Amino acid sequence: MSRAEAGTASVYHRSVVYLLFIILLLPLLGTFVYSIASSWSATVLPSGFTFKWYLQLWSDPRFLTAFGHSLLICVGALVLSVVLILPLLFVVHYHFPKLDALMNILILLPFAVPPVVSSVGLLQLYGSGPMAMVGTPWILIGCYFTVALPFMYRAITNNLQAINLHDLMDAAQLLGASTWQAAFLVVLPNLRKGLLVALLLSFSFLFGEFVFANILVGTRYETLQVFLNNMRNSSGHFTSALVISYFLFVLVLTWVATFLNKDKSQ
Amino acid sequence: MSFVSVEQLQKTYSGTPVFSDINFTISKGEFVTLLGPSGCGKSTLLRCIAGLTPVDQGKILLDGQDIVPLNPQKRGIGMVFQSYALFPNMTVEQNVAFGLRMQKVKADDSHKRVAEVLQLVELNDFAKRYPHQLSGGQCQRVALARSLVTRPRLLLLDEPLSALDARIRKHLREQIRQIQRELGLTTIFVTHDQEEALTMSDRIFLMNKGRIVQSGNAENLYASPVDVFAAGFIGNYNLLDAETASRLLQRPVTSRIAIRPETLGLSLQGEPDTLIHNHSLLGNVIRYRVEVRGVELVVDVLNRSPADLYPDGQRVALSIDTSTLCEVA
Repeated sequence: MSRAEAGTASVYHRSVVYLLFIILLLPLLGTFVYSIASSWSATVLPSGFTFKWYLQLWSDPRFLTAFGHSLLICVGALVLSVVLILPLLFVVHYHFPKLDALMNILILLPFAVPPVVSSVGLLQLYGSGPMAMVGTPWILIGCYFTVALPFMYRAITNNLQAINLHDLMDAAQLLGASTWQAAFLVVLPNLRKGLLVALLLSFSFLFGEFVFANILVGTRYETLQVFLNNMRNSSGHFTSALVISYFLFVLVLTWVATFLNKDKSQ
Repeated sequence: MSFVSVEQLQKTYSGTPVFSDINFTISKGEFVTLLGPSGCGKSTLLRCIAGLTPVDQGKILLDGQDIVPLNPQKRGIGMVFQSYALFPNMTVEQNVAFGLRMQKVKADDSHKRVAEVLQLVELNDFAKRYPHQLSGGQCQRVALARSLVTRPRLLLLDEPLSALDARIRKHLREQIRQIQRELGLTTIFVTHDQEEALTMSDRIFLMNKGRIVQSGNAENLYASPVDVFAAGFIGNYNLLDAETASRLLQRPVTSRIAIRPETLGLSLQGEPDTLIHNHSLLGNVIRYRVEVRGVELVVDVLNRSPADLYPDGQRVALSIDTSTLCEVA
């Protein structure tokens, strides 16, 4: 390929990437500008800039409570899924590889059933009786666990298949490690990457979840998205500030996690 | 007095026998090879000795102690895998030190032993690298070092060279053998490659369909195969049934005959009853495919000079060294 051709190709490649970035970032940029505009209605450009919407938001106790609720529920659901899914994956792949096919069907269920439908079922099941949990954060933690399951299972399975689980376990055991030691010292550190990807993906998804949160719990344990929904009639600047804050939070979290996870060896 | 003794070992896997009636002994410091085609049970046998796969019946005595009831951690056996099985999250040093860490060996002692064994496999400059930064041959040397550092009573090598390219394979095979001799380490090596088996071993157990078909040293195994399988698996024997053999040798023969291709000779002197079909150059040897009295044979001739090459279609005389003919069951 000649230099000129390489140049055109590179211009083409660049423009595709930039176009994609613009499409993705433009709405965010608009929201951001709106969130720092003092007022922006009948003019082309905002009439002035201010941080008062952010100040107002971050000093609103209702927002802070909702933020805390969201955080707690997401972390709770993710802790539950790590505690349950990691051993499950290990057992499935180490002892019962045939179960993997069954699991692959099971993890599709949260996608196959729309949240609106399954939340009606959950309302019936947990609305009354011995396990009346509707309106409490517990039902959301349990429900979010099932939503996180596919992400966790797939990402970690890919990771498990990339390492040679059986040979690694055999080698570790012959060197004197117990099954637990082998799992913790040899297998788990090698799943770190897949686990982190799964956690980040699930977290950002769950943090923005609205349907389950609104139907199952609503204002009784208000999460961020439910709060945002309830604020839809207040100032658009205020809700824009909320969206940007929420976005920045997930962004920073992702960045920190990626930074901490950076492989020393690479 | 044998150091390893396997008695009446038997293993079935969901109803079908993997191997049965396995008996052998190995003396201390001996290098023994289990040779056989894939699926003959040799790898399973090795895993049973390591304790990674349970056996159904039989005893494995190691230094007089039956190790069948022990779990792999307690057997004092080192093993090297075809896939290397290095821990990707650990450096070379940490990989090698893993066994010592499990034995709770003190840090400075462990450090010394790791350095020693890395010296032995000539990898001391790579101590801080991660496995993915090493070549296949280097990885396998780390794996070897890792299994040597705990000073195992018995070393098991499960096709350690199969994933490597030809040059590295030859080099590493010499290195393994040299280290094994230096340490006087009793070793069981599994391979499907006859050349590896013949060059490395003190003794070879040839396996087929879960049984040891023949055992002996390399010369023995190569020169006198006991049956059709052994003759077919080792070397490039011409296998002839009784009738064909009778026709070839022009005397009545009652059993199958195996003829090694290098014991046959071609020359222009004598009766030109042999037709050269084709030939292929293997390097130091030229392999001819010839036909004599309706019998097709493979003949290996040392490649002395291109001038000696017989062209395809030429008629030559065939000489058979009858003392090397081998009757097989």
